[in-house]
Amino acid sequence: MKKILKWIAIIVGILLVVAFFAFLYFIPPFTLIPPEEFTRQTVEAAPSLDGITDPALRAVAERGKYIATVNDCSGCHTPLGDQGPKWDAYFSGGGRGTFKGYGTFNTRNLTPDPGTGLARRSDEQVQRVLRSGLLPEGRVAHYRDMPWAAYSNWTPEDRYAVLVYLRHLKPVAHRIPDDNAETATDDPTAIETLYSLDVGVWPDSGAARK
Amino acid sequence: MTIWNKAERAGLYCGLFLLCHGIAPHLADGQTGNPAAVASLGKSIYESKCVACHGKEGKGNGPAAAVLSPRPRDFTEGKYKFRSTESGSIPTDEDLLNTVSVGLHATAMPDWKPFIGDDSLKAVVAYVKSFSIRFTRETPKLITVGGAVPSSPASIAAGKNTYDKLQCGGCHGVDGAGKGAVTTEFQDDWGYDLKPTNLTEPWTFRGGSAPRDIYLRFTTGIDGSPMPSFAGSATSHEMWDLANYVVSIGRKPVWTMNETEVIEFYSHLESRAKLDPVSRGKYLVKTVGCEFCHSPVKEDGGMIEELRFAGGQRWDLYPFDNVVSYNLTSDKETGLGNWTDEQIKTLLTKGIRRNGSRMIPYPMPWPAFASLKADDLNAIVAYLRTIPPVYNRIPDPQSPNIFSYFWGKFKVLVLKKDIPLHVFPGNAGTAKEKTMSEIDARMRQSAGEGRQ
Repeated sequence: MKKILKWIAIIVGILLVVAFFAFLYFIPPFTLIPPEEFTRQTVEAAPSLDGITDPALRAVAERGKYIATVNDCSGCHTPLGDQGPKWDAYFSGGGRGTFKGYGTFNTRNLTPDPGTGLARRSDEQVQRVLRSGLLPEGRVAHYRDMPWAAYSNWTPEDRYAVLVYLRHLKPVAHRIPDDNAETATDDPTAIETLYSLDVGVWPDSGAARK
Repeated sequence: MTIWNKAERAGLYCGLFLLCHGIAPHLADGQTGNPAAVASLGKSIYESKCVACHGKEGKGNGPAAAVLSPRPRDFTEGKYKFRSTESGSIPTDEDLLNTVSVGLHATAMPDWKPFIGDDSLKAVVAYVKSFSIRFTRETPKLITVGGAVPSSPASIAAGKNTYDKLQCGGCHGVDGAGKGAVTTEFQDDWGYDLKPTNLTEPWTFRGGSAPRDIYLRFTTGIDGSPMPSFAGSATSHEMWDLANYVVSIGRKPVWTMNETEVIEFYSHLESRAKLDPVSRGKYLVKTVGCEFCHSPVKEDGGMIEELRFAGGQRWDLYPFDNVVSYNLTSDKETGLGNWTDEQIKTLLTKGIRRNGSRMIPYPMPWPAFASLKADDLNAIVAYLRTIPPVYNRIPDPQSPNIFSYFWGKFKVLVLKKDIPLHVFPGNAGTAKEKTMSEIDARMRQSAGEGRQ
């Protein structure tokens, strides 16, 4: 009887070790889930715009949504956890990038949250960042950390559509720390360092979301 | 690291921080009496705000320049587009001040007025002028602006006649939007592609859309572009009529349209895109910014333009594979030349390479591209096919060894460590020796000029 228990313990132990390594190996499950699943997550995280009562505005917001989706704003502006994007905090910022010799930028909260998001910014301020990388405090974002040099090629009408879309995202309270002047990359031979976890603070719960 | 070193570093960051935030220049505002103070004020603002596009030496070659359209101005030539002076003349200080204050619409040049005080703006203009010797040798030749003619149906009708007489439609189209134009493909004096302005979209007029702004464009020309000065070809009265006519053909922008108009407008855009998929594809590629990653970059983040779209930018995605961005040019051996449309689309929308291997969902944002409409996907492929071939062989992704992989994953998943991705300068592909020596030669040349 003791022998059986011992063997069970050994087997369970081995299984746990294997499971742990499998967890390390496969998570985040980039190779386990089909490509369509990534797309589904990306698409489903975007808000529905059916609630916009003005039909003209709704049509413009839909175009803005399309542009913002294919330009992958979410790639940098949705906070990351260790197992992938925190989809319920869509577009609420929290990424971080350092450009060597230039500075460190935190991706900002683009949702219309009044305390921590774009509700604090005028239409002009938002469009100026998209067109010229000129942040409301007067600093120019590095064109690779925030690819404004590409977005400056949007027609003003497309840029406006993106703005309208941003105004209709679901507000998420997520406080993004101020940019800092750290100009050294983590690896001295690299010109750019992009971090993999959320730098934001969650005023609502006090704890980071999953 | 000693405490002292840390303190020193903190001091340095503080200094950089102040500089980056433009606080230092603002403190100095008001010192207009002293020319040396003005010069250093202008320089410090320029170097914190303007260099990203215009470059440290004012040559219009800052790190962001290669991806901007239109290109940033090269100040060393003293050639400016938006002036109140004769064709070929240098601009007035007011012209430059106006450009810096209100920006150039539909370009990356923003309005600096809300951020920089009046004295500081003047100091920047003085500094910008110092890049070209023309400003010390020449004086601006002002044009005379005749008495304004208020807009009226008669003036607009007369303006239409002037539009025909001066053959504006040859480039801008009979409707101002390119219809029936002889050609709309131009290059500017620096060899960059240029399209005539769509005159029905006044919010894109770089130099402003008030009748006087438009009047100035006819009479001064836009130096460096194919737009000539029509001074002498029409009377001042006719020019005002023409300005009134151009104002009158402006269409409604999308932000004032009602539902029917918006829907009609978007379906018009869609059908136009279908007629010219290459242009639509180019717009998508330029706005998504494919070339940001699919070109190698220099230490300052500026593109190595000889290898635009030829890939070669190395990204270290530890604990995942280290990858090098692929060659998107139509080179048959090393680029997309031998890929089928289907293979390109599968990679773009599913992250599956030609050999069947899977890509992780970043930095190549294929899960986002999966949302592209079928027409837009076709348009992107059509545009990529037009990119001239550049040989640059891209190495396969490099996986870390299994121990290193597990250790990296352990750090992220268990220790919750933030493991950053890294981007490296230089070309990690193998280009033709000739290409590389050309790049070296150009880099040495620009480094040499920088020292002068």
